[in-house]
Amino acid sequence: MATGVSAGLATHLGWPVGVVRAIFVVLALFSGLGILLYFWFWAFMPFEVATSESDTVTRSAPVGWGLVVLSALAAGLALYLGRNNYYYEAWPFAEVAPPLLAAIALAVAASFWVTFVDRIDPERGRRTEKLVRTAVTVVLGVLVISVLFGPFAAQRSIYAIVYALLLLLGIALVFAPVLLRLWRELGAERTRRVREEQRSEIAAHLHDSVLQTLALIQNRAGASSEVARIARAQERELRSWLFEADAPADSDLATDLRDWAAALELDYPVRVDVVVVGESGERASGEIAAAAREAMLNAARHAGGEVSVYIEGTAHAVEVFVRDRGPGFAVADVAADRLGVRESIIGRMRRAGGSATVGVGAGGTGTEVRLRFGAPLTNGAKPAASAEQTTQNGATTGG
Amino acid sequence: MGQQQVAERSVRVVIVDDHSIFRSGLKADLDASIEVVGEAQDVESAVRVVTATAPDVVLLDVHLPDGAVAADAATAVAAAPSGGAAVIGQAAPLVPGTRFLALSVSDSAEDVVGVIRAGARGYITKGSSGIDVSRAVHAVAGGDAVFSPRLAGFVLDAFGVVSGEVASTDEELDRLSVREQEVMRLIARGYAYKEVASELFISPKTVETHVSAVLRKLQLSSRHELTAWATARKLL
Repeated sequence: MATGVSAGLATHLGWPVGVVRAIFVVLALFSGLGILLYFWFWAFMPFEVATSESDTVTRSAPVGWGLVVLSALAAGLALYLGRNNYYYEAWPFAEVAPPLLAAIALAVAASFWVTFVDRIDPERGRRTEKLVRTAVTVVLGVLVISVLFGPFAAQRSIYAIVYALLLLLGIALVFAPVLLRLWRELGAERTRRVREEQRSEIAAHLHDSVLQTLALIQNRAGASSEVARIARAQERELRSWLFEADAPADSDLATDLRDWAAALELDYPVRVDVVVVGESGERASGEIAAAAREAMLNAARHAGGEVSVYIEGTAHAVEVFVRDRGPGFAVADVAADRLGVRESIIGRMRRAGGSATVGVGAGGTGTEVRLRFGAPLTNGAKPAASAEQTTQNGATTGG
Repeated sequence: MGQQQVAERSVRVVIVDDHSIFRSGLKADLDASIEVVGEAQDVESAVRVVTATAPDVVLLDVHLPDGAVAADAATAVAAAPSGGAAVIGQAAPLVPGTRFLALSVSDSAEDVVGVIRAGARGYITKGSSGIDVSRAVHAVAGGDAVFSPRLAGFVLDAFGVVSGEVASTDEELDRLSVREQEVMRLIARGYAYKEVASELFISPKTVETHVSAVLRKLQLSSRHELTAWATARKLL
C-alpha cells in the first residue's frame, strides 16, 4: 500500500493484491518475517516499466544516502575505537577491523546502488550518483588519512598499512561501477556502429539493385501507367526508408505536401514533383497546407500528367506554387455552386490572412495556383512575381 | 516534341550503365538522330570506351561499380566519388570535345551534385522517356545544360537565394544574379526553358545562357554551404 510492493508482487504472481497483503500481515504477526520480507522486496523489486501514465516512480527512501550515512557511522566507530586504544596498541585489529570493513562494504554498496539502481530513477539520476560517490570517497579518504597521518601515526603498526591498503581498495571499488558503465556504453556504441555499417551496406546494395530496377520499370512502363505509379511509390518509400530514417517525425509543410503527393500518385494517373527551397517553420496543419493540398488534389483530378509543386519558405513568408499541364480553367468560368477553388483555396487563404491566385500556367497551358502567406516579398523575388501577374486571367484576391 | 527533333546530324553517344537491361532499353528508345557508338558497364571500361570512341555525349550512370575497389562497394552510397564522377575525372581530360550527361535513379541532390561538380553538363532521371533523354542528349551536345526542377531548387538553396543574396557582378561565383534567380525559380516551378523565356520576355537562347552560367557556378563555386553540404555527404 505504501510502496506498491504488494501490488507489484501480485502482478508478478498473478494473485489478487488482497491475498498478497494478507500474507504479509500474517507473516508479520507471527515472527516479524513479513516485515523483513516486505523491506527486502521493497529494496529489490524492479520498477514497473513506465507506461503511458506519468508514473515515473521514485523509491520514497533514499537508499543510496542511507548507505552513505551507515558507512560514515561505521567509519566514525572505527576512528573512535582506534583512538581509545591508545594505551595498548594503535589501531588494534580485533576492534577496528569490523567497523572499518563495514564502512568500506557500505560505501561500495552505496556506490553500486546509485549507479545501477538509482540511475534509471529520474528523480535522482546522475547528480545524486556523483554526490553519493563523492561522499563515500570522502568518508574513506578521511579514514585513510587518519590511519596514516592521524595523531597516532607515530605508533604506526603493520595494521595501519593493511587498513590503508584495504581502504584504498575500497575507494577503487567505489569507482568500479563507473568503469563498468563506461565499458557497457562502449559495447553499446560498438553495436550501434556495426548496425549503422550494416545498414549502409544494405542501403548501398538496394540502391544499386532495387532502386535501379524500379526506375527501369517506370521507364519501360510509360510515365503515367499504373505499373509506373506503383513502382514510383515503391521507390519513394524505399528511398525514404533508406536515407531518411532519422528524419524528424514532426511534420512540417514540406514533408506533409510530399506525403500528400505520394498519396495522390497512388490514386490518380499523375506524377507530382515537389521541390522545396529554404527552411520554413510553417506547420503542416496550417491553412496554407490545407489550401495547397486542395490545389494539388485539383491538379491531380482534373489535369493529371505532370504536376509541379514548388515551396519556398523564408523566415517571414512561405509561398507555394502548384502547376499542372491540364486543360486549364478560369475561376470566373466555374459555376457559382462549385465551391472547390473559390472557397477551399482562395477563401481559405484570405481568411487566414494570406493570398491566393489561380491563373493560366506558362505558355498558356495548364493552371498555376499560387499561395502566399506572410510578409511582403523581398526585392529579389519581385520581378518574377510581377511578370506573373501579366499572365493571370483568373480571379485575384489579396489579403 | 519528337517530330521537330533536330535532324541535322546524328549525335554519337556512349552509354555507361552497369545494368545491361537498362542499356539495351535505352538504346532502343533513343531516336534515330542518336547513334550509340559504345557501351560500358563499369568505371574502367567506361574510361576505355570513351577515350577510344571520343563520342559527342556520354550518358553516364551516377552509381557505377568501381571494378578495382569492389570490396569498398559496401559503403558506396555514403562513400564517394560515385562511379560516375570518377569516369568524368579520368576520361574528361583525354577527350575534351566530349560532354557528359548524368543518368541517375532519381533527381535528388544526393545523387546528382557530385557528378555535376565533377563536370557533367546536366542530368536526367532514369525514369525519363526515350524522347526526353534524346532531347537532353541534343541539348547537351549543343553545349546547353540540362536542369531539373529539383536541381534548380537545390541551387536556389545552396546559393542563399531565399535569404536574399544577389550577385553584384556577373563574374561572382558564389551568388546568383537576379536574372539567374528568376530563371532558376521558374525552372523549379516546373517551367520548360521555352516557358521560362516567354514568362520573362527573353529568348530561349538567353535562358539557356543563364542556365549554363548557373551550371558553371554550381561547378566552380567554393561557396561554403555547397562544399559543406557536399562533404557532409561525402560527394567531394
